Amino acid sequence: MDELMEILEELRPDVDFENETALITDGVLDSFDIVALVGELNDAFDIEIKPNNLVPENFNSAKAMYALIEQLQDE
Amino acid sequence: MEKSVLCRLNSVSEKYPGKTAFRDTENSLTFGEFNELTRSVGTYLSGIVSPGSPVAVMSGRHVYTPACFLGAVRAGCFYAPMDGDMPVARLNQILGVIKAGVMLVDRAHLETAESLDFDGTIVVTEDIINTPADDELLKSREDGIVCTSPLYVIFTSGSTGVPKGVITSHQSLMTYIDSVGKVLSIDDTDVLGNQSPLDYIAAVRDIYLPLSFGASTFIIPKNEFAVPAQLFDTLNRERITTLCWSVAGVELPAKLGAFDVSKPEYLKKLCFSGSVMPCKYLKLWQENLPDVLYVNQYGPTEATASCTYYVVDEKVDDDTVLPIGKPYDNYRVFLLNEDNTPTEQGKIGEICVSGPILALGYYGNAEYTQKSFVQNPLNPNYRELIYKTGDLGSMDPDGTLRFHGRKDRQIKHLGHRIELGEIEEAAKKIEGVLDCCSLYNKPKEHLYLFYTGSATSKDIVISFRKNMPAFMVPRKLVNLDKLPTLPNGKIDMQTLKSYFK
Repeated sequence: MDELMEILEELRPDVDFENETALITDGVLDSFDIVALVGELNDAFDIEIKPNNLVPENFNSAKAMYALIEQLQDE
Repeated sequence: MEKSVLCRLNSVSEKYPGKTAFRDTENSLTFGEFNELTRSVGTYLSGIVSPGSPVAVMSGRHVYTPACFLGAVRAGCFYAPMDGDMPVARLNQILGVIKAGVMLVDRAHLETAESLDFDGTIVVTEDIINTPADDELLKSREDGIVCTSPLYVIFTSGSTGVPKGVITSHQSLMTYIDSVGKVLSIDDTDVLGNQSPLDYIAAVRDIYLPLSFGASTFIIPKNEFAVPAQLFDTLNRERITTLCWSVAGVELPAKLGAFDVSKPEYLKKLCFSGSVMPCKYLKLWQENLPDVLYVNQYGPTEATASCTYYVVDEKVDDDTVLPIGKPYDNYRVFLLNEDNTPTEQGKIGEICVSGPILALGYYGNAEYTQKSFVQNPLNPNYRELIYKTGDLGSMDPDGTLRFHGRKDRQIKHLGHRIELGEIEEAAKKIEGVLDCCSLYNKPKEHLYLFYTGSATSKDIVISFRKNMPAFMVPRKLVNLDKLPTLPNGKIDMQTLKSYFK
C-alpha cells in the first residue's frame, strides 16, 4: 500500500488519496492520469491491468486500486 | 455566396427539421429545436448587447452549449468559449483579454461565473431559452454580419504568460468546414463522436459539420475516455461513423487496450490532428479497422484548425512518420527560409499560410497580431497577409509536405499547444521558486520543470492546479541546487534533458 501511495502522490500531489472515494466518478483523475497510472502500476507491481479492469469501481479510491493490484498479483 | 454560418443554420433547419443535430447522454436536439433555441437566445441577447460584441460562454459538455454559441451569433455577436473546469485564475485571464459585457452560462456554472472578476451581466441559459423569437430583430442582426465578421475567439497558450485569443471569421470557418467535409465525404448519414472540449478549436468540426451537411454529433462524456471498453460501447450504441479527434484521443483507447474487448463497428472515417501521430497506435487501429479512412491533419488555430491533410493510404509500421500532406482546398501553404527567400524543394523551411482562412489576429493585441500576420515577403505588389506558423517543413517533388518540428519552444502535449515559456512564467510566480526551466520529454510525454529554490514539488503542483489548465501542469518536478548554464550564461537545456528519467 505504501508503494501505491507513493506512486499516486507523485502522479497527483494535489489529491487527497487517503480520503477520496470517487476519483473517477467525480473526474478527479482524468483519462491522461489513468494512462500514466496504468503504466506505472503495471511496472511497479509486475501486473497487467486489462481494459476490463478499467472501470470506475477499481480506480475510485486508493483502497480499490490496491485490491485490484492484489487480485491481479494472485492470478 | 454565404455571408455567415447563419445561412447554413437556416437552410439545414429547413431541410432537416426533425433530424437529430446534437445529442448527449441526457438530451437530444433536432435541427428544428436547435434552431429555435438559437433564435430565443439570440433574441434575448439582442436586447442587452450591441452587434459586433464578444459574448463569453461558459457551458458544459451538453447539447445546449453549441446552441449558446450560435445564439450569440444570431444576436450579431461573436462568442468566446470558456471551459468552466479551468482554474478561476485562468478564466479571469481570459476575461481580462476579451472584456465581454455579457457572459452566458449554464446553471451548473453559475457559481463559478459569480466568483470571477467579471463586472458585466451574467445570463443563465436555462432562464432565457423560452424567450419568444423576434423575427424582425433577428433579421436585422443577421443582415449586419458580413463574411469577414468574427465568429469566435478561441484562446491558446501565450509565451508571455497571458493566453492569446485567436479571432476566426465566418468566411474562414466555412472555408475550412467545406474543405474537410469534402475530404471526409460528410453527408446527412454521418454521426460524429465529439471528443474535444467544446471550447477548443478541434470542436469546430463537431459543431459545424452538422450545420453544413446535416450530419449529427454525439457529445461523448469526458469520463468515458478513462474507461476504454465503455467508450467503444458508446460509439457502437450511438452508431458513430466519424471521429475527428486529437492524436492524444486516438492514442488513448489503443494504449489502454480497448481493442482487446471490442471495436467500433460503425466507424468509417477517423481524422486526427493536434500533434504527430505515433504510428504504433495508428497501426492498432488499422489492424482492427482496416476499412476505415484515416486522415492526418496539420495546422495552427491561426489558419482555422487545419491547413493540410494526408489520406493514409498505406499500412503503417511502428516507425512510420506520416507526411502532413497537401493543402486543403482554398488554403495556400508554402515554405520560406530564414532570410525570406523561397525554400528549395526537399530543403527545410518555415511553413507559411495564406488565403481566406487566415485568422483576424489576436484579440485586443495589435502588437502581437502585426508580428505574426505579416505581408508576404515574396509579394511587393499588393497586400497579401501570411501567417508564419513557426513550424518547420519540407516539400516532396509531388508537393506533399512533411513536418520537421518547431522553430521555437512551443510543444504539443496531450493534444494541446503549450508554450514552455508560459509554464516557466507561471512557475516563477510561485513562492520558493527562484529559477526554472521547463522541457518536454516527448517519447514519455512528460512535462518537466527543473527549478531552484525551497518550494516542494507539492507546492508547485498545487499552485499550477489552481492557476493553469490541467494539461499545463508539469508531471515531473526536479529540484536542483543550480541550473546548468552554457558559457554564454544561457540555461544548458541539453544537460537538463540528460536528467530525463
